[in-house]
Amino acid sequence: MTGKCKVYLTTVMVTESSFPITLTLSGIRLGVLQLAPVALFFIPFGIAFGVVAATKGMTTVQSISFSLLAFSSSAQFSTLEFWHGAVAWGSLALAVVAINARNVVMGAALAPWVNRMPLVQRLPTVALLNDANFAVCQAAFKEGSNDMGILLGSGLILWSAWVLGAAVGALAGPFFGSPAALGFDVVMLCFLTAMVTGMVKRPLRLVPVIVGAVVAIFTLHHLPQGWNVIAGAFAGALAGSLSDA
Amino acid sequence: MPDVFSAWGAILLASMLTLATRLSGPVVMAWLPMSPRIERFLQNLSLSVLAALVATMLARGGLREAAAVAIAVLVMMLLRKSIWAMGAGMICAASWTFWIG
Repeated sequence: MTGKCKVYLTTVMVTESSFPITLTLSGIRLGVLQLAPVALFFIPFGIAFGVVAATKGMTTVQSISFSLLAFSSSAQFSTLEFWHGAVAWGSLALAVVAINARNVVMGAALAPWVNRMPLVQRLPTVALLNDANFAVCQAAFKEGSNDMGILLGSGLILWSAWVLGAAVGALAGPFFGSPAALGFDVVMLCFLTAMVTGMVKRPLRLVPVIVGAVVAIFTLHHLPQGWNVIAGAFAGALAGSLSDA
Repeated sequence: MPDVFSAWGAILLASMLTLATRLSGPVVMAWLPMSPRIERFLQNLSLSVLAALVATMLARGGLREAAAVAIAVLVMMLLRKSIWAMGAGMICAASWTFWIG
């Protein structure tokens, strides 16, 4: 009975707000072009990972494979914290999940678009989800775009840059200086700031921003690493929904 | 340094768990029937998660990062171009390192 009811509801929603979802080559190209400037600065971060990994004793093949498979600076850097003789498997697993729990939230926010793609397209597209392409794509989708190529293309260019950087860092690491001298370390911070600023189009949209930021800061030292972002995200979304009602 | 099996084990574990976090958002939402209330919540969530991320980076950083963010917000409000905002923030941070250290 409940199963039937659920199917009925989903069908109604799909037909009511049905808009065609596409995945085109021009969409992929648009995603690549839009994120290319950000991807350029992913290279020094990839290099930084390769360098640190090498000093911790990770082989070149391992750090390149790790960047290819994980494509997550925060998860990869925190794995290096566990790079000792006896790996603390449980703590490593918890740390990685906690740090990347925001991916679940971002995936959920993109679900209304993502879940309309065929499964074969959905998997590679969502597998490359990250902070930067999430910011760009949810803005594009809200403005009426329905081309999932943007998400895939932006994921691909960032992924390539990240892996390229890790390879360079692992092979030629010691020759590079600090990314902070050129301001490379604030790329993500400033890019995400710009995206948030661009998304606040009316004063009421400041509610989720302010509540999310304040809760994330106040829970930073009271929650395990990464969870303060989740706490801020949920508090902000709740406050935003209530004030928007 | 872990032995070769533990090393690859750790790499695979961290990679697979990261992939699982990326895939699970859409999977969870596929089971929840969409309602206007959930849709509104998700819309606000996409903004609050980014704000929480920025706030966390700011809290871990110092005045240099705060100045870069302030410049980025200002440029974004004036020009509405994220690339310019990002560049202005980076120049601000780089000059801070150069002049103040």
